[in-house]
Amino acid sequence: MDFCKKHVKSDCVELLSRFQGSESVRFQVFSKIWREMEFSQIFYGTVNHREQREFCRLILDTAYTFFLPPYSFQIRVGGLYLLHSLYQCQITSPREQIRLALKDWEDVMKLEKDAVNAQHHDAVYILRQLMLHKAFSFTAMPTMLSFKKKRNVKSLELCEEFMERPSRPQELINIELLEELSNIDELYGKLKTSVSSESEPAYSSINLIRKDLVPQLRSTVVDFYKWQQRKSGPDEDGNGDSGEGMSSQQECSRRAQLLASIKSKAYGEATEASKSRRHRQVEVDFTSNVAGPSHSLRYSRTNKLSLKARTCENVHISGDLWKEAGETTRIKCLTTVDFASKVHSGKQNPVKRFKW
Amino acid sequence: MAAPNPSTDPNTNIPEYEYADANSNIFHIGSFRNEWLNRLKPSNYSYEQEDEDTFDANFAAEMGISAETLSDLKSICSPDSLRCHAEDQQPDTEVVPPDSTLRTLEQRKKRQDYRASLKVSKNRHDLYADELERLTVGRKPEAMVDMVPEGEVILTINVYYSVTFENFSTARPHVTLLMTGSHSLAELRDAICCVSDLQVCGEFSHTPDMAPEFISKDLYKSAFFFFEGVFYIDMRYPECQDISMTVIEWAKSHGFPPYSQAKMEDTRFAGLKVKVGFPYLYCHQGDCEHLVIITDVRLTHANDCLDKKLYPLLTHKHRVTTQKCAVCHVYIGRWLTTNDQFAASDPCLFCDKCFRMLHYDAEGNKIGDFMAYPYVDRGAFN
Repeated sequence: MDFCKKHVKSDCVELLSRFQGSESVRFQVFSKIWREMEFSQIFYGTVNHREQREFCRLILDTAYTFFLPPYSFQIRVGGLYLLHSLYQCQITSPREQIRLALKDWEDVMKLEKDAVNAQHHDAVYILRQLMLHKAFSFTAMPTMLSFKKKRNVKSLELCEEFMERPSRPQELINIELLEELSNIDELYGKLKTSVSSESEPAYSSINLIRKDLVPQLRSTVVDFYKWQQRKSGPDEDGNGDSGEGMSSQQECSRRAQLLASIKSKAYGEATEASKSRRHRQVEVDFTSNVAGPSHSLRYSRTNKLSLKARTCENVHISGDLWKEAGETTRIKCLTTVDFASKVHSGKQNPVKRFKW
Repeated sequence: MAAPNPSTDPNTNIPEYEYADANSNIFHIGSFRNEWLNRLKPSNYSYEQEDEDTFDANFAAEMGISAETLSDLKSICSPDSLRCHAEDQQPDTEVVPPDSTLRTLEQRKKRQDYRASLKVSKNRHDLYADELERLTVGRKPEAMVDMVPEGEVILTINVYYSVTFENFSTARPHVTLLMTGSHSLAELRDAICCVSDLQVCGEFSHTPDMAPEFISKDLYKSAFFFFEGVFYIDMRYPECQDISMTVIEWAKSHGFPPYSQAKMEDTRFAGLKVKVGFPYLYCHQGDCEHLVIITDVRLTHANDCLDKKLYPLLTHKHRVTTQKCAVCHVYIGRWLTTNDQFAASDPCLFCDKCFRMLHYDAEGNKIGDFMAYPYVDRGAFN
């Protein structure tokens, strides 16, 4: 059955991406897409009973992956609908069951709770119906395992576009950016004072940039985050976004972590300056007049990252920044593209992009 | 008892991947079962189908919705909403729908066209594929006593051919068995049929009628399973020897971690600590070694075969090509001869009938000079 794995997955992804495009979690919407794609036909025309059964197993296992994190709430509900529809439409008798692994049980319960809180009756109803009809087989692992080791593991690939987007503002204005901003501010201030006469440092014509830019930017992001948290509260109904914010514990904690790090680092003392700028920092150190990181304790940190990690991080930061500032470090930027997503969004695992 | 690394993690009996898509980490089967039962309501794993109306009433009450909303919900979520064809016309599910946009179907169409172009339409695996399933699926026992209890675990066990080559993962499993958590390892041993148990040692050219009485299974009864550092030995009969001791002592003298022993007949699957998907060993007849992989552990389901008497349940059997008699080319070879003046080759295979016709006279006396050994074909269990 391995031969059609790729195609089955791409069909499921197609269905779910249409569902995602609808920005809804209604079963009505899902079943409309299902009918449009004539998805029931996917079971037709297998050679014999055994192949039919194996195909059922394969497509249910494929659909099952969309029912679990790290996908967004909407995709997971779509995955639930997909499982339900496949279970209902299969033509094997007795029906092939959906394998539910013990480790995934908590996630399913969490999804159900979110759906109940957000009053998505159709999602809850369908999950309960599946339970009622004994559609689940309670297993140890999501698939049968027979020690089939593969050289390149394809099934681990996740569909990135189905994952919940970490909020863009937080992603954009992260701690590295704030650090860089304050550094540039320092440099720029230094440059200006050196150009103008030494006697009048506070000359108004060179103080065009607001001094509190960095803290203000930070507090704006924090405010946005708080607002977002309030907005995605459980009491909101209907439009499909509700429950999403709380649907994934990981997301919340990731955001919280990010914020905590922004807070602690923006005003924290032990900030490691990026390697590419250290040579400059030596000269701006003493004129530092911005509420940015102070560098006095720069070497006090003991638990440094590995050299490789630091290099990746630093090279990337400078590249990112200089892309806008000038042309000189473009090449560096190109060489670190691979690390960009990993460093910035703080994901644990590097995620390969889904290939059609 | 079987834990090489007793973990302090309280959730150690929730299986996770050790290596993705290869095998799980080690867990205790009985505790795994309890973890599931603690999480589920009895109705979830009961064989009884809950009443639909009761379900609806409970659902409406719990969600706080009116009967009207509920009936709306039911109509929206009904299986009819998924139908892709007109109500009055039933599609032909045997043929691949033409002009489908689904990639799977495009591929299936191509594959079917290719297969149609081949001369052989069905192979031996296709022919007998449904045979085993037809016998067992959804079988209910006649007496309630023989019912597999609700919430019991079912293990799927693959037993592979005795292998001397490394790449077992490309080999088809010889047999796939379903067993319940209350089965002992000795029952698994009895369910595994291997031709080496049926071999007859010795030369019987003078007394061909005596041969079937001396099969290896009755002569050499010792065997062991090896799961997670423990040898489970068969000690049911007085003739049984502990054939794992040599390995244990050798391992000890070479500085390997110590291995322990337990009795096969006293060990139930529910008390076993294993990794799902991990290759283990079954050894019998001294050196006939089979790989054993537990591919799945799950709770019983109403659709399973629920008759205890049918377990260990065979769900898959690999059908090997058999070696035929050199004379008739019809029957499977049962005798192997050497130094045989009548034979076209040395050694040569004969079925019982051809062998006797060619080598013995009407009174059953041996003609000519040859050695004859009973031969059991690998496909003897087909």
